[in-house]
Amino acid sequence: MIAAIGLVLGIVAGLFLEPTVPTWLQPYLPIAVVAALDAVFGGLRALLDGIFDDRVFVVSFIANVLVAALIVYLGDQLGVGTQLSTGVVVVLGIRIFSNAAAIRRQLFRA
Amino acid sequence: MAAMPAPPAAHDQPAGTTRRDDSMSLLRNLVEDSLDEGYARAASRREDGAPRSRTTVWVLTGGLLLVGLLLTTAFVQTRERAGSAQEARDALVAEIEDRADANDRAQRQLDRLRAAVQRDQRNALELTGTGAALSDRLIRLEGVTGAAPVVGPGMTVRLEEAADDGGADVDPRTDQTDDGRVTDRDLQTVVNEVWAAGAEAVAVNGQRLTALSAIRSAGDAVLVDFRPLNPPYVVEAVGDPDTLRTSFVGGFGGSYLQVLQGYGITYAVEDADRLELPASAGVSLRYAASTAPSGGPTDERDDKK
Repeated sequence: MIAAIGLVLGIVAGLFLEPTVPTWLQPYLPIAVVAALDAVFGGLRALLDGIFDDRVFVVSFIANVLVAALIVYLGDQLGVGTQLSTGVVVVLGIRIFSNAAAIRRQLFRA
Repeated sequence: MAAMPAPPAAHDQPAGTTRRDDSMSLLRNLVEDSLDEGYARAASRREDGAPRSRTTVWVLTGGLLLVGLLLTTAFVQTRERAGSAQEARDALVAEIEDRADANDRAQRQLDRLRAAVQRDQRNALELTGTGAALSDRLIRLEGVTGAAPVVGPGMTVRLEEAADDGGADVDPRTDQTDDGRVTDRDLQTVVNEVWAAGAEAVAVNGQRLTALSAIRSAGDAVLVDFRPLNPPYVVEAVGDPDTLRTSFVGGFGGSYLQVLQGYGITYAVEDADRLELPASAGVSLRYAASTAPSGGPTDERDDKK
């Protein structure tokens, strides 16, 4: 319950404070968003499977975002940034999809 | 299960049987291990009876706060960026329209001033006997060259583009299907045939043609003297009302219009009792000096056409 308030607070803060992302961070924002979505869907699935764990969720979320950003940063330095971010998006996208499919199976038994 | 060698993430697969998709273990891992392993480990730890600390709820709250913040920030940023692009576009469009209006105003002022100059010139010339003769000659020459507006009987040729063609929303750089369009070449041909039919003064969409006029195209737009025209195109020609239309329609012009009609371009050739053709926007010589006995080089300083 309190956790849901945290989510709402985050959304409200994002809407009203409109934090500006510094330019050097902007290339990593899309990747961070995909990583965050991946963590969210993973958490939802774990919740439905009955094995949700707060700590794992938070750590996996932060770690996913950081690792994804790091991969893209590394790629940028080596000249393969775009390709690597495509790779990250593809891998995380597949994970999101299969997690969403698992959630669907849990919810609708189909 | 324990007997299975490599990948650490083993599945409900009896040991010993090899899976057909073994060679695609990377893809399989991706699809099947979509849930973070940490959840399973934490669950098994909990079953072991490890204590759950109460502070975790705050950790989760903070984590979800971060998730919400990140997602909304991305959302707001994207929206803002799209909005600012739209704003920039609107500002540019408004500026273009402003400049076009200013251009038109300047052009009208130029026309007015030029007419005033011609009037004054004529008045000054008519003060003397030789001047009066010169003035007559000047008026005649101005009519012929397009420097002065003319009136007279003649005909109009109206060309309308095919209705079903792509229109303005087709990218002019890639649009290859310009079948139903009137091109600069079509207008050139029609205008040439109008001259050949005996026209003494010709204007296209109100743009008077002179010896220096060019009909060109830029992208999909047809330009006359570097001013873009909008369809439909109306060619007005002053000439002998008895022969102008018949010789145009009977000559190559008429058959060319027939060909255009095959592409969906509709046309209308009509007689006109009285046509008023404006003066050309700019009749000025930059390099050529007149060697006529009556005058030296023109000292008119007109804008570049």
